[in-house]
Parts: sequence; C-alpha cells; structure tokens
Amino acid sequence: MIILDAKYIALAQMAVGGGLMGMAYALVAYGFQLTYAAGKAVNFGQGELVMLGAFAGISLAGTGLPYWVSVLGAMVAGAVLGWFVERVAVRLALKQHNEGWILLTIIVGLFALSSVENIWGRDDRPFPAPWPAGALDFFGISVTWPELAIAMGAMGIMTLVELAKRYTMAGIAVQAVSADPEAAELCGVRSRSAISLSWAVSGAAAAFAGTVIGPVTTVGPTMAAALTLKAFSVAVVAGLDSGFGLVIAGIALGAVENLSGYVLGSGWREAPGLILLILALALRPQGVFGKKIIRKV
Amino acid sequence: MFTGVDLGLRENTAERIVRIVLFIALGALPAFWHGQYALGLLTLMAVYGVLLIGLDATVGYLGQVNLAQAALFGLGAYASALAVQAGAYFPLALLAGIIAALLPGAALALPALRLEGPQFALSTLSFATLSVIVLNESETITHGALGLSIVRPSLFTVALDARGFYWLCLVLLFMSWWVSQILLKSRFGLSIEALRDSPTATDALGIGTLRHKVLAFAWGSALAGLAGALHALNFGYLQPAAFGYDLMVMLLLGVVFGGRRSQWGAFAGAAVVAMLPNLLSNRTLFSGLVSSGCVLTLVPILRSLISRRVPAFKEAAPAVAMAVALALSLFASNVEEWRKGIFALFLFAAVVGLPDGLAGAFASALHRLIRFTPDPLPPATGGIRSAGISVSKPLQVFKLSKSFGGVRAVDNVSLDIGQNEILGLIGPNGSGKTTFINLVSGLYAPDSGSVEIAGTRPLPGSLMSAFSAGAARTFQNLQPFSGLTALESILVCQHDGGKSEAMGWLRMVALEEKARQRCSELSYGDLRFLEIARALATRPRLLMLDEPAAGMSKPDIARLVDLIASIKCAGVPILLIEHHQDVVAELCDRVAVMDGGRLIALGTSAQVRRNPKVIEAYLGADEEQTSVQGTSEPQLC
Repeated sequence: MIILDAKYIALAQMAVGGGLMGMAYALVAYGFQLTYAAGKAVNFGQGELVMLGAFAGISLAGTGLPYWVSVLGAMVAGAVLGWFVERVAVRLALKQHNEGWILLTIIVGLFALSSVENIWGRDDRPFPAPWPAGALDFFGISVTWPELAIAMGAMGIMTLVELAKRYTMAGIAVQAVSADPEAAELCGVRSRSAISLSWAVSGAAAAFAGTVIGPVTTVGPTMAAALTLKAFSVAVVAGLDSGFGLVIAGIALGAVENLSGYVLGSGWREAPGLILLILALALRPQGVFGKKIIRKV
Repeated sequence: MFTGVDLGLRENTAERIVRIVLFIALGALPAFWHGQYALGLLTLMAVYGVLLIGLDATVGYLGQVNLAQAALFGLGAYASALAVQAGAYFPLALLAGIIAALLPGAALALPALRLEGPQFALSTLSFATLSVIVLNESETITHGALGLSIVRPSLFTVALDARGFYWLCLVLLFMSWWVSQILLKSRFGLSIEALRDSPTATDALGIGTLRHKVLAFAWGSALAGLAGALHALNFGYLQPAAFGYDLMVMLLLGVVFGGRRSQWGAFAGAAVVAMLPNLLSNRTLFSGLVSSGCVLTLVPILRSLISRRVPAFKEAAPAVAMAVALALSLFASNVEEWRKGIFALFLFAAVVGLPDGLAGAFASALHRLIRFTPDPLPPATGGIRSAGISVSKPLQVFKLSKSFGGVRAVDNVSLDIGQNEILGLIGPNGSGKTTFINLVSGLYAPDSGSVEIAGTRPLPGSLMSAFSAGAARTFQNLQPFSGLTALESILVCQHDGGKSEAMGWLRMVALEEKARQRCSELSYGDLRFLEIARALATRPRLLMLDEPAAGMSKPDIARLVDLIASIKCAGVPILLIEHHQDVVAELCDRVAVMDGGRLIALGTSAQVRRNPKVIEAYLGADEEQTSVQGTSEPQLC
C-alpha cells in the first residue's frame, strides 16, 4: 500500500468528516424538496425546526427515556411543527398566489428561535447519545461513530420516504398532487391533506437531522440560521426537484466547508461554499441536477 | 351610501402637502423633545427610513424577497468609516458608503435577478452571509469582531452636533424619498410594476426585464450604502455582527409591516423598527400598545360572528397571535428577552391581517373618507401608421424546427409574409402554432433553421432582440400588467409620445372610457383588445396575434375584425393564429395550415379549405379516402 503524505491524509480526513456532516445537510434539504414538490413552497425556518428537534430530543432524553425513544419523540414533535408551519404560514399565502409564505415562514422561525432562547436558554448544550467512544479507521482516516450515525440515519430516512412515496397509496397520492393538484383533486385525492402530509414528513426529517447532528456539534440557538442556509443551498444547487442529486451536493458542500476551514482558517469555513452557490445559481438556476424550465405562454 | 368628502384636491398634491408638514414637524421635534436619547432615536429612524425606502425598491416594487439589504448597509457603513479613517471629508465619506454598496449590489443583481422567488432569496442570503464573513475576517482592515471606531468629521467647516446631524439625516431622507417617488412613478417605475406581473410580456414588448431589475436593485443598494454611511457617522463604532441575519429579518419585516410599494410604508416601518426595542423596555406603554392591537384584531372576528359565520383563518389568526403577545407582555418575567418573539407575533398579525401593511390599510381607509380629484386625461391623438421603412419581406422563416424531449413541436417549417399581408396560421390544437410564434418572437431558441424579421436576424431565443428587429405580439393566455391601469399599460410600451398618444391607442380599441381602470378589473374581452393596443403602441413592423378572438363574444369579434382590417390598411403586416374560420376567411390574404408540427398546406382560404390533407387533419380521414389519397399523392407532387 502506498503511504500517503501526512498532509494529504489530514486533508482527506477533513474532506471525509465534512462529507459525512454534509449528509445531514442533504437530509434537511430533502425536507425542502418534499414540501417544494407538493406545494411549491419551502420553509425558511427549517433550521429552527432542526434546532427544535434537537432540543426536544435533549429534553426527552433528560427525563430518562432511552435514546431511540427520544429520537422518535423528537420526530413526532417535528412532524407536528411541520404541519403547523404549513397551516399557519403557507396555506393562505399560496391560495392568494403570492410569496408571502417566504416572509411568514421566516416569521414563524423567528418566533421559534425566541421561544427556544427563553425555554432552553442561549447556551450550547451537548446532546447525549449512546454511541461508543473511539473511531473506526479506514486507511488512516478516522470516522467517529456519531458521524457514521449521521450518514446512516440520513440515507435511511431518505430511502424510507422514497420507498413510501412509491409503494404506499398516500405516497402515490402525494406524487399525484405534486404533478397537478387540481387533476389530483378531480381523481378524489385531497390536495390539502397531501400537502400537509409532505410538510409533516419534512418536519420529522428536520427534527431527526437535529438529533443526529447534535452529538457531533452541540445544540444551541445559533445553529438554526446557518443550517437553513446550508440545507437550502444544497437543495437549490441540486435542483428542487432532483431526487438523490442532493446527496452528492450535500457531501460536496460539507467537504468544501471543512477543507476551506482547514486551509483558510475557521472564520472562512463557509465562504467558498457560498461563492460556489452563487455561481451555481447564476449558471444553472434550475439546479445542477434539475430539469430545465420551459417558459409557457 | 357614504361616498366621502370631496376636497377638490388631487391625491398627489394632498400627499405632497402632508409629507412636507411631516418633515417640518420632524425637524422641529428636537426643540420640544429634549435629550440626547430622544434625538438618537429620531436619527436612527431617519437612517432606517433611507434604508427601508431602498429595500422597498426590491421587496415592494420588484416583488422579490431581498435578504442582502442589511449586508449592503454594513458594507456602506464600513466603507465610509474607513474613508473617514483615511482622512476623507464628510461628503466623500458618504460617497464611499454609497459606492461600496452600489457596486457589489449591482454585481450581485446581474446573476441573481435571473432567478425568481426562493432562488433569488437564497442568492441574496448567501451574499449577505458572505459579506459578514469578509467583514469579520479581514481583521487587518476592519479589526474584525473587535470593532472599528471613528470620529465624525465636520461638514466642510461646520462641526455637526447631534442635532445638526439629525437634520442632515432628515434632509437626506427627504431627498431619498422624493427621488424614489419620482423614479418609481415614472415610466421606469411602471416598467418595474409591469415586469412583476409578466416578465415575458415586458421582454416581448421591448421594455427590457433584466435592465429594469438591475437598475431597481442598484437604486436600492445605493440607498443602503447611504444609510450605512450615515449609520457609521452617527454611532462612530461598527461591529460586523450588527449587520447579520437579525437585522436583515427586522428590516424585511419592517417594510412588510409598514406597507410595501409605498415610501410612507417604508417610513412607518422604519419608525417601528427604531422604536420597538425602546417600547419593550417601558412595560406599561408596551402592554397598552399590545392590548389596543389585540382589540383591533378582534374587530374582523366580531364582524364575521355578527353575520353568523365561522371566522376565516385570515380573520382569526391575527387575533390569536396578538393574544399570545398580550399574554407574554403580561406574564413573561423578562419581556425584553422575548423581543424577537413578540416582534414575530406582531408581524404575523400584520402580514396575515393587513397584507398591504399599515400604509396600505391607512390609504384604503382614507380613500373611503375622502374623494380626490383624479388627474385629467388629455385628448386622444395619433393612430396607427406603419413604422415607415417598408421592407419587402417583413418575415422570412426558413426550415425552422424545435423539439421538446421527443416531441417535434415545429418540424422544418418555412414561411414568409409579404408587405401588407395578413397571413393566417391555423391547425388543430397541439399542431405547433403557438410554438411557432414563440420561436419567431424569441421566447424559445430554435433547434435549427432561421428567422428573419424585417430584414434583420434576431439572436435566437431573445425576446428583446426579436422586438428590436420589429416584432410585437399578443399572447394566447393573456399576460396583462394587472397592477397597472389601461392607460399605464400603453404608456409603458410606448417608446415615444406621451399620454395623449396613449389615449389614441386606447380610443382605437374603444377602451378610452376605461383608461383609469386597473387591468385586474377589466373584462376578458377588454384585456384582449388592450393587448393588441399594447403591441401597436410599440410601432411594430410585424404584428403577431395569437388567437385574439378566443373567448370573445360575437359583437366583440366583429369589432376585432374591423380593427385588424384597419391595422392592415395602415400597412402593418400581421401573422394571425385563429380558430374562428370565418375570421380567418374574412381577413387573411393567405392561410398556412399546420398539423403535428409540419406545414401541410399554404394558399388562399378557399384553397386550403378544399385541400384533402387539411380536411383530414381537422376531421380525420375515412379509410377509403386515405387509401385513394395514398396512391394519388405522388402524382400530385
């Protein structure tokens, strides 16, 4: 086996660690895709949902519940919140065909942030998880168990939802609504319920992301805004309708972020990703993996 | 019914008087309201006023959620602070602020404004995050998180005290307000409103979507820079974190709360954003305010209960939000800690309950109370005449093809239109007629083949380029400028001539009486006529009408036929897609028939009607006939 230079090992280590974290961005971004497909809207407060999910998980675990139960509890809370956001912030604005939903979801997110600051406090907290300490070693690159949990969890949730979309009646109904809500209604599908369901699943995915990100980073009110931006970047760069392209985009963003933090200094961590995002948007507005939009008149 | 008091005033005049009174009052305020603290608040309000008027240019007039304004404000502030440090004079420091925001703002606008909705919001959000990172990390220049301190230089020879600086801010606010108003009420402003409703139509009519978007964004950025410079000179101390996400959300929501597309709204929003932190610290005042807000939101609920129906979400939600805010203001131990949350509740109530903001709600109440004298309309003049230069071939299309996926929507079509000719284009639904017009007008780029309009070859896939060559069109699915009046819709399309000429175009389509009505209030038939008038107002060398008679009543169709005939008489060649065969037969010199993307027949109306392929395309062939045709066809060719 070729023995690599220590410097390259360190870079590869950074890229792998970032890429695994990027899977979490992809999972949150997947939530954006779900709601965008069903109702052409996304939650600009999705980062706050991730944060709320993480805090709910912490509080449930604090009562002595086992880890898996508190993760499930957080997902239920996330689903309820996702449904709530759709009901209060999105439905009316979409009915009026305006973009008030962007503002309203920001507003609901702001309220959530303020509530978290007052209920759980402004300080960052660790998220207790039952993963073994230590790390696995692949060719000199170490991967910790919590990082692995992010990747496995994200893939698991996405696969489950995709399977449900294809093989359950509810999933097929949601697909019908995203293709054409009026036509779906004429076939007896309740568009409104399908959209609500998408938002609930999206919220549950966000909350789950919070419970797997928590053990790697920490949980605090400052995590929300950055997460919304990153996940949204992943979703838009991949294309809001592109399926699994966002896994690639997520891994890429996570890796670039970590590498630039390592090479340029921690303050510049996010900068190259943002520049790439603006460029990607300018060159391919429909997303790197997205289908070209045809204007119709 | 109460119809309101007639003051005999025009609305513009009344608004101007009230605005000047407001500014005189604001200027005199420091004489009555003593203290550095009050003065600081008023200055902050004026600075935010400039900033929000700028933000309204994009969020309100362009209708795009712009999340970069706080960062541009920060860039302006830092640039002017650095200029002061380098020893610049006062006006130069202001200029440095404006430029520092204008340049990145305009640069960002170019790629970002091709995007719509969430994508646009995201790109501005990334820009904002990036700017804060750069301010934070360029420690040798900005001192990063430690902050940057400056001493305010004197304005020429006058050393400005706090009161003098406040007056300066007020003057600049007045000027920003005034210029914005002039700008946004001019043809430029009309164009921006038009492109918000239909960017496709503004491009096809030569108004230029991208250019106007970039200019609006640049104007908003310049104001952000000016406000930033004032902010730096006011406080004398800057930190990057102050220009982050929190400020951005506050600003955005300030504009929405105050009322979009209104300088008054931006000003009201600025007042709220500046005062709110201070309102929260005075508990009694704050509770009083929240309670009165709560009572106000109960009004629509009561109204619906009186008429015995369950209140709709729109009516109930604001009251619930205000009730939560009231509970927080009464029971929370630390109201200031809940600042963001309470602000969010207020905004939720405002966005859902008052979609047009404070200014919008106030304006509509005012219009119920007071009747203003409308602006007089000039007499109609002008009329159609051809563009002057006559070309032998207004349109020449050679072997044009376009596929969507596996569907060949237009397949190898060659056509031309002669001088003074009306060419009809008919065919069953889905035969490729509209795609053909879309290709000629530049909405789509063809896969192969060429288009020549009045002797020039426009860039493929560019509406603007096809327009410059002389093409103008109407749309099968109407593309009205819903926010504009009928008269404004014409004005915005005219490249020369004023209101009286615009009235002339309206007279032509018999919409003179409805000149002041908004397009959203016009009937379907009226809008179809207005689209034709809009296209004519651009003085085209080739007019393309996509199913102008669709959905029209019989008398309207008769009027339409007369109109098209008179356009032809004036020497404007026309490409007419139409399903009404009588209209086609009466008007068209030649008729082209498409089926399955191909041109299957071309000739006079009578010729194509007898053409067996045309009959087959429309009615289907019975089998016997097909077989006969199949054998006879080679001999025909």
